Order: sequence, then structure tokens, then C-alpha cells
Amino acid sequence: MNKTGKKILVIDDDKKHLVAVKEILENEGHDVYMHDQAFGSTALAKTLNANLILLDINMPGLSGDALAKVMRAHSDIRAIPIVFYSSNDEDSLRQLVKIHQVKGYICKGDIFNLKEKVAHYLGSS
Amino acid sequence: MEVIEQESPTVGSLIGSNECINPSVAVSKVADRFFTSQHIDALALVEGHEPIALITRPKLLYTVFRRFGFELFGKKSIVSIADTEPLMLEENERLDVAIDMALSRPAQNIYDEIIVTAGDGSYKGLLSVKQMVIQQSTTLANSVIQKELAHERSKELEKMNHVKSQFIANVTHELRSPVNAIIGLAELMKMSCDKGYIDQVKDRLTLIMSGATHLRAVITNILDLSKIEAGKMEIIAEPFDVVRIIREVAETTRVLLGAKPVDVLVDTASAELEIASDPIKVKQILTNLLSNAAKFTDRGRITVSAVKLNDVLKICVTDTGIGIKKEDIEKLFIAFNQVGDAATKRHDGTGLGLTITKNLLDMLGGNIILRSEFGQGTVFEVTLPLKNNKLNPKEEGHE
Repeated sequence: MNKTGKKILVIDDDKKHLVAVKEILENEGHDVYMHDQAFGSTALAKTLNANLILLDINMPGLSGDALAKVMRAHSDIRAIPIVFYSSNDEDSLRQLVKIHQVKGYICKGDIFNLKEKVAHYLGSS
Repeated sequence: MEVIEQESPTVGSLIGSNECINPSVAVSKVADRFFTSQHIDALALVEGHEPIALITRPKLLYTVFRRFGFELFGKKSIVSIADTEPLMLEENERLDVAIDMALSRPAQNIYDEIIVTAGDGSYKGLLSVKQMVIQQSTTLANSVIQKELAHERSKELEKMNHVKSQFIANVTHELRSPVNAIIGLAELMKMSCDKGYIDQVKDRLTLIMSGATHLRAVITNILDLSKIEAGKMEIIAEPFDVVRIIREVAETTRVLLGAKPVDVLVDTASAELEIASDPIKVKQILTNLLSNAAKFTDRGRITVSAVKLNDVLKICVTDTGIGIKKEDIEKLFIAFNQVGDAATKRHDGTGLGLTITKNLLDMLGGNIILRSEFGQGTVFEVTLPLKNNKLNPKEEGHE
């Protein structure tokens, strides 16, 4: 397996999704880091200096879109592209992308789409 | 609330009388007619079919009761003292226009009757200004009320619409999320199989099963709730022992708690408490309340107590969990309102359990209240009637 050397931070409160995404993307040769809540995620993103953040929307305490807002306002991590990764309705995801000026969204459940879009967003970063 | 559409009426619809008289009739005769017919306020003077003048009661009285008035005018024709330039309107004139015209006349004529004619100018009848003004103000008042009603209604609909779309957004997420997890994990399992990693397959199967179990719980709850809302949930009452059900549910809860340091205690007044209700629904209510307590309690205990008080059974589920903030308590029984926005919900679960519990209790003639101290714990207090005749399905006359 060829390593891409790209670091992806996945933030999702659902362990099942985290485990699945980690393995799928690691198979693509990326380094995948998991975090299961909004709390502490900005610090981690900064330390890792990740190439991409995959962000779930429905999360405890602080929702993913609210977290995106926090991250976008953070000078150290503003440059890291954020992509929403959620089971929410595609229309609502599209809207959230617009509102928070993040890179894009990926709908959960389609693995091929996940791999392809991650490659796309990593390439354009 | 019924909203009556009302347009401004036409003058034709408000004609009060169609009394008329020939212009050549003597004043004395007309005076006699006014004296004998007290209901007449005015008479139109009609020649052939066309109205040419108007005589009102005040004008006539004023004329004949003046000094020598009767002697001077009695034998003359009525047209000599009548208003020969009365206001005349076509019957299909709008009421608001008619009022404007009536009120813009010379002051002494304002309250005179108005002559209404057909399109061809023939006489139709008389219309009193007073009647017209009363009608118009009623119409105005109605339109204000209608406007307010419509406004209220639209606000209500907007609110309902919002709740509905929120509900659909929640259902969408709650159903799709576990399905997506199952698909992702199945894909991983396939990869493990391809590589021949049997241990990984086992791990993944466990995760898939937990995802599928959760999905089943969500679906069951959504179906239950729609059944309740459609009025299709059946209640079958029979005598049974509540304590036995409490013990069963307590045991399930212990399993659910797993390794968490939480004791489940059953504290009932006697070893057996019989009531007549629907045992399946009572079990569902208790299961919801206890699994709820288990979810939100990390250490300490969950106590279930039951006691008969007068004609009700009181069951309390007390936990030493995270508690509920005062401002969140009333939101608790609303579907998907697991405290906090559904998008930021803290714990697994469908957010439907308490809504279903409340609905089931309503059907059983019971009630639920809760007391909670944020950070200290929560008490759910359920009351159920010991016997409720309403619950006998044979007596339910309606669908």
C-alpha cells in the first residue's frame, strides 16, 4: 500500500462511523486520526497540522457546523480544509457548506464516494 | 374556526322599503299616510316607473305643523314641498361608495333616505343611511376579526410546519445514520474476509449487530408513535401484578448497565400489587423510564418504588444521574427533543421514548410528572388508575 503522507482528522461521536472511516481511508494510504467529540478537536487539529478534517454534524455538546465556525475563526487552523461528513439530508449539508464557507460535504454511507471525494479534497488543498 | 368571506355589499341588498307615491297626491293625503303608517320614514315620489323626488317624515311634519302650514300646503301636490334633487343610486352600487356619497351631501340632507333605482332608472326602493352605516361598520369589524383570525391561523400553521420539518429532519438522520454505519462496517467486513482476517470479521460483526439493534429500536419507536398518533394503538386491560413486571424490567436494566457502578433497587410496599390495566403498555412505560435512567446515570443507584394510594398506583423511578435543568424539563416529552438540539444530543437513543411513554400513559388514564435537580438526579413519578372502566376495549364504542 502506497502511503500518501496526508493526515486526515475525523471528528464523529459515533464509534462505528469512526472505525469504518479510519480503516477505509487508511486503505487508501492516508494517515487517519480519530476524535469522538468537539471538545479538544481544535487543539488536535493544530498539533497534527492535518491536511483535511472530516466533520460529523450531529454531535454532543457542540454540533459539527458550530465547531466548523469555531475552527474557521481560529487563525492557526483556518487553512485546513473542512469537509462535513454526515447522515443528514444532502440539501441541508449543501446549505451548511454555504453558511460556514467550508470546503464541501460527503454523505455517509457511500464508500466509493468517500474515497473519491477525500482524494479530490486532498488534491486541491 | 370558520372564516366567512364577506365583500362590501351593494345598496340593492339593503333596501328597507319600497313605499312610493304619485307626485300629484295632495300634501294632506301624504300627511295622513305618514300618521297612519308609523313605520314609514320617507316616501319616494314616482312618476310612471321613475322616481323624481323624496319626501321624508321630518320634512313633511316640519312643513304642515308650521304656522298655517296645513292651510298653506294641504291642498297642494306633494311634489311642491318634496326634495326634487334626492340622492339616487343604482342598486348595484357598492356600500362604501354609497356611504361616501350620502355623507358628502349638504348637512340637512345627510340622514335623508336614499332612492335606489334599477339599471334602467326605474324605482326599486328606499335605503336608510342609518341602516347602511350599521351594515358597513359590521362589515369592517368582521374584516378586522377575519384578518386577525387569518393571521393567528397562519402563525399556527407556520409553527406546525416548522415542527413537522424538524421532525422529518430528525427521523431522516436517526434512520440513515445507523444504516450508513452498517453499510460501512459491512464493507470493512468484506475487506477483512478478502484478506482472511477472521478476528476482524468478529469485531465488525459485533459492531454491525449493535448498529442493527439500534436501528430496530428507532424503527419500533417511530412505528409506535405513528400508531399512537393514528389512534391505532390498542389497549387491552386485564388484572396483573405490577411488582412482577417491575422486577423483570429491573433485571433487564441491570444487564443494560453492564459494568457501570449503578445498583438497581426495587422497593415496593408489598410483594404483590394487582391492578387492572394493559400489562404490555405498563411494561413498555417502565422499560422506557428505566433505560432512560440507566443511560443518564454513571454511578449510584436507580430505585423503583410502587405503592397504592387511594384509587391510584404510584410508581417512582429515582436515579442519581446527571439530572435535568429546569428550563429543559418541559421540552422533555416532545418527540426528538433529547435535551439540547437533536444535532447536539449527548446520548444514544431515539429521543422518542419519553414522548411514547407520555402518550401511553394518557391512553391508560395515567399521568407522569418529574422532579429533577441538575447534577443530582431525577425522579419520574407515574400514576396509574387501579381500575379504569374506560380501558375495557368492549366498551370503546368508537373507532
